[in-house]
Amino acid sequence: MKIRGVLIEDTFAEAFTMRVARIVITARSLRWVRAAALKLTGFATSVIGCKVEAGIERELVPGETPDGRPGVSVLLMTMGKDDLGKRLIERIGQTVLTCPTTACYDGLPDAPDRVGVGSALRFFGDGFQSSKVIAGERFWRIPVMEGEFVVQEKFGMLKGVGGGNFLILASTADAALSAAEAAADALTSQPGVILPFPGGVVRSGSKVGSRRSKTMIASTNDAFCPTLRAITQTALPDEVNSVLEIVINGTDAAAIETAMRTGIDAACRAGVIAISAGNYGGKLGPHHFHLRKLMSRNSSD
Amino acid sequence: MTDGLAARLRSTLRQRADFSEVLADSWTALSAAAMSQRPVYLERDGKVPLGELFEITGNPNGHIRFSGDLLTADRLGAALSSGHVTIEGSVGAEAGLGMSGGALVIEGDAGDRTGAAPPGFKRGMTGGELIVRGSAGVEAGAAMRRGLLVIARAAGDRAGLGMIAGNVVVFGKAGSNTGLWSKRGSVVALGSITPPPTYTYACTYQPIHLRLLLTRLRDQYGLAVLRRHFTGFYRRYSGDMAELGKGEILVWTAK
Repeated sequence: MKIRGVLIEDTFAEAFTMRVARIVITARSLRWVRAAALKLTGFATSVIGCKVEAGIERELVPGETPDGRPGVSVLLMTMGKDDLGKRLIERIGQTVLTCPTTACYDGLPDAPDRVGVGSALRFFGDGFQSSKVIAGERFWRIPVMEGEFVVQEKFGMLKGVGGGNFLILASTADAALSAAEAAADALTSQPGVILPFPGGVVRSGSKVGSRRSKTMIASTNDAFCPTLRAITQTALPDEVNSVLEIVINGTDAAAIETAMRTGIDAACRAGVIAISAGNYGGKLGPHHFHLRKLMSRNSSD
Repeated sequence: MTDGLAARLRSTLRQRADFSEVLADSWTALSAAAMSQRPVYLERDGKVPLGELFEITGNPNGHIRFSGDLLTADRLGAALSSGHVTIEGSVGAEAGLGMSGGALVIEGDAGDRTGAAPPGFKRGMTGGELIVRGSAGVEAGAAMRRGLLVIARAAGDRAGLGMIAGNVVVFGKAGSNTGLWSKRGSVVALGSITPPPTYTYACTYQPIHLRLLLTRLRDQYGLAVLRRHFTGFYRRYSGDMAELGKGEILVWTAK
């Protein structure tokens, strides 16, 4: 299969079940919404080293937020249920509570599984905090020097999917970067998904384990490193000189599928030789996204 | 889909009537016939079934609507714990007394001690939403522990008397000594008010939680929340300093 001359390899992306929370941050202006969201989602690319994967899902207009102010929705994901609560408390406590004018709400109100967040952060109020129950939901008012920080008591969590991906195999580094930027741009504000890596793009795709160290969980994906073509069992066609990866996490498999289809389509452009994907032989992750099956709907040639 | 129950007053009540047991226990699944058997206590004639005073029609769906001149109907909605109750006009004293859940919407005025504590009890409302689209008499929301009381026009003296927690929102003029002796809880005054002398001014700010509350009142009950209520500032008074001092009166101000 080819899309605009770009080979879609007969392979699949292998993804994992994760726990996901959706955090809605509002503030007086988008400036402070973004300030809080960028800190909240900072250093959250991979659970391997960051304990959490997070990203901005989309910006929200005032009519979409609980308090009628500008906002943003963030997805925050971990491998386990208990971990998610801890990470939410740490991150919201350090990055949203501290940020001027913000408030923080649950973005998964229908999720039956709920974890206490405001109920833990309230103790920062040192006994001066108070709560209000509005429409059946409790919100904590924590006094701060600026005024009050409002945070919802409990946040919903769902089973999500992490590790949806595709690889852009290009003839030059510029072509790979240009295609990756196009893919990341196409996925901006796509509901239900985040791209947790910088700018939505990964240059350091990894394989499981290490040749040299037994303690390393992951190491460089040498089969896709052009500089190692001559000294390793390469997976790269001859014309390929640079590879970039798009990693996609989402609230469910359907959201990942839609995003992969959109992203791959955007990445199929001049200078790109092939689109591939990362997997572990299908043995580790329960979610398999077959590229050709995904793209069969909108292949152009 | 059904419209719920409709209770239409058969003829004018000529004596005060105590409705405190009509909606006190679970009622949302009761048929019109079963609801007709709920007791009402007339001041002179004693206990009569509700069906003797009201024609009750419709099918149960968690909503009941009372219509007719109910100015002498006291304690309607007392101990309400679930469902949605609408009173089409004005109502007598102590509506929603000690309610713990559900919604009670009074389209007209309400008498004294609306949503207050039953006599001899320390706690008034412990939950639910009580909306008075008109004015309310004295001591509305007295000893409230939790829940929401909204008065769309004027509130009589001592609204929120001895509040333990919860919210009282007054759109119009609030009477004297509003919030007196409160321990915690919030009085939100969108109209004029003079906080009791035992309250102390803290600051002028924009409480974010009020945006949530006011949005709820606008969207759920169609109350006339104005743009200035969202965008304006509120003067915060802490009190009652004769009690815990953890309560507040938030007074809307343009600046």
